[in-house]
Amino acid sequence: MRELARLLNDMQAAGVIENYAVFGAMAQMRYTEAVATLDADVLVAVASPERMDVLAEVYEFCARRGFRAEGEAIRVGAWPVQFVPVFSPLTREAMEQADTADFEGIPLRVVRADHLAVIALSVGRAKDYARILALLESLSVTRDEIARLAARHGLSEAWRRFEARFADD
Amino acid sequence: MTEIPERLKKQAQWQKSRRDLSWPEKVRLAEAIRDSLESLRRSRSGANAPRQVRRS
Repeated sequence: MRELARLLNDMQAAGVIENYAVFGAMAQMRYTEAVATLDADVLVAVASPERMDVLAEVYEFCARRGFRAEGEAIRVGAWPVQFVPVFSPLTREAMEQADTADFEGIPLRVVRADHLAVIALSVGRAKDYARILALLESLSVTRDEIARLAARHGLSEAWRRFEARFADD
Repeated sequence: MTEIPERLKKQAQWQKSRRDLSWPEKVRLAEAIRDSLESLRRSRSGANAPRQVRRS
């Protein structure tokens, strides 16, 4: 992950990406206990979003640094990394408002717990619901915070259904 | 039966101690979990592979 942190910061400094933030399971672990995952997910805002292949410059930058493609991911150190262009106002906001954490001496941008929970709510698979419950249990986010953010992104109904199914006392 | 509350308490403490690890420590733990799962998956697929029948 230190290698990934360096790569992302260099990529941003070189102007290949405008911004980035780690999300998904890797980000979740900042707030909860460790979870099983096969890869690291990174939200990116690319400098040239009008290109047909929006991630071409990202992959080219990685290749120049000696990081090779592995299926749909790029292997960076111990982890295959999935670069995901921001795909909604919610994911753009999550990336822009991410925290800058210290990962063993290297700054690494990571999505906040409330955004992680609401992104999980918007995706809505079983493992995403488990993520919301884990974040709530770790007290890194409250139900009110999720409700407010969900409302701003048109997800109030999804949150109401989640609460009725999983979180009602 | 009386030991169950004590066991649950210990389990909760163990879970809390895992949550209190630093982020890099948890990432390393996730790496170990992933490697174990991949190793288990490989050994299972080997065990389930069709046996070769030796023809004489």
